[in-house]
Amino acid sequence: MKTRPTIYTLLLPLLLLLASCDMEQEVEVKLPPHESQLVVECYLEPGKTLRAVVLESVSYFNDPELPLVPDAEVFITHKGRTIKLPFSPVQNKQTGKYYTHRISEKLDLQPGDVVTLEVKDKKGRHVTGTTTILGQVPIEAVEWKFNEKNKAYLLTSYQDDPDAVNFYRYMVHRDSLSNSSQRDFISSDQLTNGQRVSYGSGYDYEQGDTLVVSLFHIEQQYYDFLGSISDARNANGNPFAQPSRIVSSVKGGIGIFTNLSYNRKTVVIEK
Amino acid sequence: MRLPAFAVYLFCLLSLITADVFAQSTYTISGYVRGTGNEDALIGATVSVPELRTGAVTDGRGFYTLQLPEGSYTLQATYIGYEATTRSIEVSGQNLTVNFALLPANSQLGEVVIEANSLQQKLNASQMSVETLTTREAKLLPALFGEVDLIKVLQLKPGVQSGGEGASGLYVRGGGPDQNLVLLDDAVVYNASHLFGFFSVFNPDAVESVELYKGGFPAQFGGRLSSVLDVKMREGNKERIGVTGGLGLIASRLTVDGPIVKDKSSFILSGRRTYVDVFTRQINRLQEGKEDFNPIPDYYFYDLNGKANYKLGEKDELFISGYYGRDFFGFNDADFEFGFDWGNKVGSLRWQHKFNPRFRVNTTLSGSSYQYNVSNKIDVFSFNLTSDIRDLALKTDFSLILDKGHTLQFGAMATKHDFTIGRLNFDSDDDRQSFSAGNDYEATEAAAYVADDFQVNSQFSLNYGVRLSAFNSGGKTYSALEPRASARYSLSERTSLKASYASMMQYIHLVANSGASLPTDIWYPSNDYVKPQRSQQVAAGISHLFGGGRYMITNELYYKWMHRQIDFRDGANLFVNDNLEDEFLFGKGESYGNEVYLEKIKGRTTGWVGYTLSWSYRQFDDINGGRRFPTRHDRRHDVSVVVLHELSKRIHLTGAFVYGTGNAYSLPVARFAFQDVQGKGATVVPVYSDRNSFRLAAFHRLDLGLVLKLNPKRGEADLTFSAYNAYNRRNPYFVYFEQVKDEDDNETLGFRAKQVSLFPVIPSVTYNFKF
Repeated sequence: MKTRPTIYTLLLPLLLLLASCDMEQEVEVKLPPHESQLVVECYLEPGKTLRAVVLESVSYFNDPELPLVPDAEVFITHKGRTIKLPFSPVQNKQTGKYYTHRISEKLDLQPGDVVTLEVKDKKGRHVTGTTTILGQVPIEAVEWKFNEKNKAYLLTSYQDDPDAVNFYRYMVHRDSLSNSSQRDFISSDQLTNGQRVSYGSGYDYEQGDTLVVSLFHIEQQYYDFLGSISDARNANGNPFAQPSRIVSSVKGGIGIFTNLSYNRKTVVIEK
Repeated sequence: MRLPAFAVYLFCLLSLITADVFAQSTYTISGYVRGTGNEDALIGATVSVPELRTGAVTDGRGFYTLQLPEGSYTLQATYIGYEATTRSIEVSGQNLTVNFALLPANSQLGEVVIEANSLQQKLNASQMSVETLTTREAKLLPALFGEVDLIKVLQLKPGVQSGGEGASGLYVRGGGPDQNLVLLDDAVVYNASHLFGFFSVFNPDAVESVELYKGGFPAQFGGRLSSVLDVKMREGNKERIGVTGGLGLIASRLTVDGPIVKDKSSFILSGRRTYVDVFTRQINRLQEGKEDFNPIPDYYFYDLNGKANYKLGEKDELFISGYYGRDFFGFNDADFEFGFDWGNKVGSLRWQHKFNPRFRVNTTLSGSSYQYNVSNKIDVFSFNLTSDIRDLALKTDFSLILDKGHTLQFGAMATKHDFTIGRLNFDSDDDRQSFSAGNDYEATEAAAYVADDFQVNSQFSLNYGVRLSAFNSGGKTYSALEPRASARYSLSERTSLKASYASMMQYIHLVANSGASLPTDIWYPSNDYVKPQRSQQVAAGISHLFGGGRYMITNELYYKWMHRQIDFRDGANLFVNDNLEDEFLFGKGESYGNEVYLEKIKGRTTGWVGYTLSWSYRQFDDINGGRRFPTRHDRRHDVSVVVLHELSKRIHLTGAFVYGTGNAYSLPVARFAFQDVQGKGATVVPVYSDRNSFRLAAFHRLDLGLVLKLNPKRGEADLTFSAYNAYNRRNPYFVYFEQVKDEDDNETLGFRAKQVSLFPVIPSVTYNFKF
């Protein structure tokens, strides 16, 4: 519900007058029957084993259970070799991360390699996806500057390649990657093609903070997918927004199949 | 090329009737009807000739014309709220000018008028689908926060809907808010809203009247598909200086008017400003330094209106009008400066010349601009985003009264548009980062029109004409013929049948996908890729007068086709995008419905009841799987009841009740869990299905008002009490789905739907004065 507070802030002068009134109430909404679709999340990462999450979409008011699809079969094909990922759900208690299909095999992924994904189940649902491995874009500098209140802003710089259309995801974690990201956004080089780009921040940091800064070089299909996820979430609760369709990178269902190519730096903020 | 065909048509039409101009068998009686005291032009006043059972209604400038044969007659000028005035005239061998100055019917603020137009004249006009409203009428009705808003009163008329609770946008007969041509003294206003659409830019103290055309558009109007909102500003008092003002809950206003040269020229200056920011700044100051206190952002709006007129002689008069308004939203602290301001600048200079009582011309030079500007500065980084549209327009409108019942109107206009779309500058003081975006476009729009208002006989009248419009931008030219026609056939003195057809073109488009009027909405010209929008509307109606002429019931059916409608791709970036064209989608629309309108304008109890049954759809290949979907404001049933009752000379009671089918709305039908690369627990992502396939709960509301006239030592004053949403209905503004979580372990327990309402009961009081 990120946007509702924003709207309320914009309308604050009016809403101040109404602050004492409870203007929200629970209502009953009857939803039409929903035909479940397969939902796939699979990220290829150099040096990491092959893992995927296959779930299905459910009617909005269904009970909050993880909708597993045990009969789903997952195949990844790289350089003519197809690997089946068996159904083997697991959750990492420390990170909270879970996978439904996995195998301990690793692929030798090089920039430019094309990898395909296929998921099918006994209901006849069939999802396919393709990803092209990207190279890293190095972080050139992570800098910070303090104000009089001893708060610092962070500045992360990199060089965009002028000969390619590039998309990025930028994340900052405090202390550890296990924590939720402090800052997370996607951008394209539409306005900054070939430039040295700097991402700034607010005065959010203090002396001694340990920050993990990640710059992901991402595919357009991942950029579009993340954008549509954000739009769909914002549409739920924003009276001014249009509903947004999820732009999946896979065909035949919902989801994302892409590769994670990132450069990461860990810094400790010092004066 | 269609131009020669149009020229031939124009030539033939003029040739057919020019010969009649000089062969007079009747004489023209014309003049102005004004109110004494304020010298306002009385729009829609009736000048009748009882001996001949004929008459005329004054136009938007208070001007009337009559054709009478030789003889002795009585002319009677009437306007509700004013004393009727009678003059005897002798028509013999020449045209006559007869002006009227009517005395107000009572000594109070004079705001007892319900409806300016005489119902009989309305019945007899060939024009249909038009709503007229005066400030006098609007000021009596209860208003949100006590802020009188003419646009919101128009929303109470059949076929006109609001964009949402409290919003001042107009959705006319299934059209969008971008399809309304808003004119202030003949100059276009691009964004007629303050405060994110909650208030219109029209200060009631500066406005004389508003006419809203929903269909059957006269040929002199063009450029938008769905409606024409023609707002006329007041003229200043020609005899003495006057001051009018009001103190309200959130804003105050002050107007000064008076003569510049007595009986020759006058002026009016009007301003208003909200003052909530005065209090929020105090709160911020008192709370400064406290932990967990977030300063309240600054917000205010103000607007200024001015108008002056100068009589150059018997035949010539000059009018100059201007509007300047600005909204400002800001938030600053030591490290952060955010500012967002937007507003319109509008001005016009009109020269009115009378060749003779039958032939007049108005020539208007006008300018208009709308701009928004967002700026943000954090330490060394600065960001600025601005968009605007600037117009310079020249138009001339002729009105020529001919014999045999013809009145010819013809003219031409040309507008130069300049667009700045999403001009972004991002810089850092240390030159570490600098980039910009945005596009500038130019366009030229031109039109010529001719129309004949033909009184065939006492039963049948016809208004037919054509408009040729053209638009050029980026080397691409579009042109189109827009035929217009309306007709009236009287079954009896009390019953009329009417029908109309109008074809409209729209060459500039609003880039907005919010479904509401937001300050960041920008205008975009037609070009190679974005073709102009077009609509065609047919309407048919019947009007019947009864109850001794005190009541009139009108029923109108309409059907509107809309071609090349515009929407935007899911997730479209409309703010900073050098390739905005890629985000456009093109489709079609249709809307149809039936409007019933019962009005009573005489007696101590007056008002109206409106009922609209309507449908409104759009269809785009890339939206909703190509299937037709209802617009958000597709409202099957819409009812409004407005009652004004004069309890005594000092007390007026008013009430307005509205009921509407709930808005069409999109809600997620499903959800899925998305873990993302971080994997800190899955989050819920909604899945939307068909667009606008849900309905919010029905909307209904009762507003009550009381106007208490005071007896100050000097001048006049009143207290206006309002109760908006008197029975405190929680009307739906929007619905969203939320997760229900366990307070202890934050586990998700389930999901539920929540409805958000905007305004509970809001009492207000406004003090108005005049001296």
